[in-house]
Amino acid sequence: MRRRRSSTKFPRTLGLGVALLLCAAGVQAAGTPIPHGTLELIAENQSIAAGHELYLGLHFQLEKGWHIYWVNPGDSGEPPRIKWQLPPDITVGEIEWPTPRRLGTPSIVDFGYEDEVTLIVPIHAQASLASQQSAQIGAEVKVLVCREICIPGKAQLSLTLPVKSQQSAPDAGTSGLFAAARKSLPRPAPRSWKFSVADANNSLVLSANLGHQVSQAVFFPLAESQIDDAAPQSLVPASAGFRLTLRKSDQLRKPIGRLKGVLVLSAAQAYIIDVPLGSPGLAENTGAEIYAAQFLEEVPLR
Amino acid sequence: MKRSTLYPILIALFLCAALPLILSGKTGEPAPQFTATASNGKIVHLADYRGKYVVLEWHNNGCPYVGKHYKSGNMQKLQKEWTGRGVVWFTILSSAPGEQGYMTANEENDYITKVQAAPTAALLDSTGQIGHLYDAKTSPQMVVINPQGVVIYDGAIDDKPTTDLEDVPTATNYVNLALEQAIAGKQVETPTTRPYGCSVKYANSAH
Repeated sequence: MRRRRSSTKFPRTLGLGVALLLCAAGVQAAGTPIPHGTLELIAENQSIAAGHELYLGLHFQLEKGWHIYWVNPGDSGEPPRIKWQLPPDITVGEIEWPTPRRLGTPSIVDFGYEDEVTLIVPIHAQASLASQQSAQIGAEVKVLVCREICIPGKAQLSLTLPVKSQQSAPDAGTSGLFAAARKSLPRPAPRSWKFSVADANNSLVLSANLGHQVSQAVFFPLAESQIDDAAPQSLVPASAGFRLTLRKSDQLRKPIGRLKGVLVLSAAQAYIIDVPLGSPGLAENTGAEIYAAQFLEEVPLR
Repeated sequence: MKRSTLYPILIALFLCAALPLILSGKTGEPAPQFTATASNGKIVHLADYRGKYVVLEWHNNGCPYVGKHYKSGNMQKLQKEWTGRGVVWFTILSSAPGEQGYMTANEENDYITKVQAAPTAALLDSTGQIGHLYDAKTSPQMVVINPQGVVIYDGAIDDKPTTDLEDVPTATNYVNLALEQAIAGKQVETPTTRPYGCSVKYANSAH
């Protein structure tokens, strides 16, 4: 847990400068080294309350040019893997993965994050935690950090949270990171949007009716080996949406039932979609629950 | 234009369009032919190995996923076992000069001695020609070709896409499975998987 002092007593600019210095010092001091970066386990609140949920975060800071991977890493690499060490009174949920970027070369495309990213994870404290003074939370993280080359790293992180009867206010020292992390999450697509997917020989064609013309879209498949990650995604704008042609992966041997993933329309517009193949009339997207459930299937925590 | 001149043009156009499909090296399709220089100085023609099973192993000695299989001795064991059973094993180095995993012939020969590797030959593919023919994405990507020259497996070496040495003993090795099943006259159950590992360090790849 990181604490930063409030700067309200200082003149604004001086306060800001001091806050930035403290912030930089805090990051330096608190981050555990990983190859070409640091990793820190943070909590959204300064204490944990029995019977309540709390968000933890894994805050990665990477040197320029280095990256880590999304839940579907694309053509190479692998996502970070977390082994939690928790008291029996605490259960952990699934990682909420921010929208990734396309990385790599024209022939080999990976999905991941550069510079800085926070993976947030909800934990739930059972009522029985009330008998404890504090909760010790540990996480062993295995992460592959790549630029042209890849270096596997491992970090043992820990955090001690006092147990309180009431949920405490968000920690001012970490709230910025949690806010940024939530902002970078893909959202469920609006209910009014209609999608369909057609199987066309070597391609899957994703058609979207959003009520307005769209001239730019990138799709990130949640499952590996469905689409050819490196193939250009060709978009044809339509009067009320678009049609996006996705080349099938060579590894796809059986027809897929659904196409799930993240559709990025612009930097601030990323949506979770889950579209059954064919039958365009039934192509309702079903939102975030599917996204989380799929992660559970795809990335067993080990 | 007369029919007699139009037809050859149409056929040529068709062949041009079909060429990338013919050469894609996908499972179930003919293995793309190549000629390469091995680190031992020999010239290798894939066509000369018709009638034998051939394994292609994409290699980059700096890649931690490759390291897992060499430090554990797994790759050497596979090479010894299968070449001992008459299978041809080519280790392929598609890293461009200056990139991780690029080796001169001498460096590769020293490496083979040092780690006690036992491929039939290590093929120097710094132009990436063979890698692109097979659309190799990662090291260690593995391809198995049957005696009829058809690709019967293309993908990962096993089902544990990690860099942890401790995962090797518990992994299901897809190359073993494909070879055992094919040699026993059975259908290869898992003919293709997502290859895991480091990206192949081709020439001209934008970083």
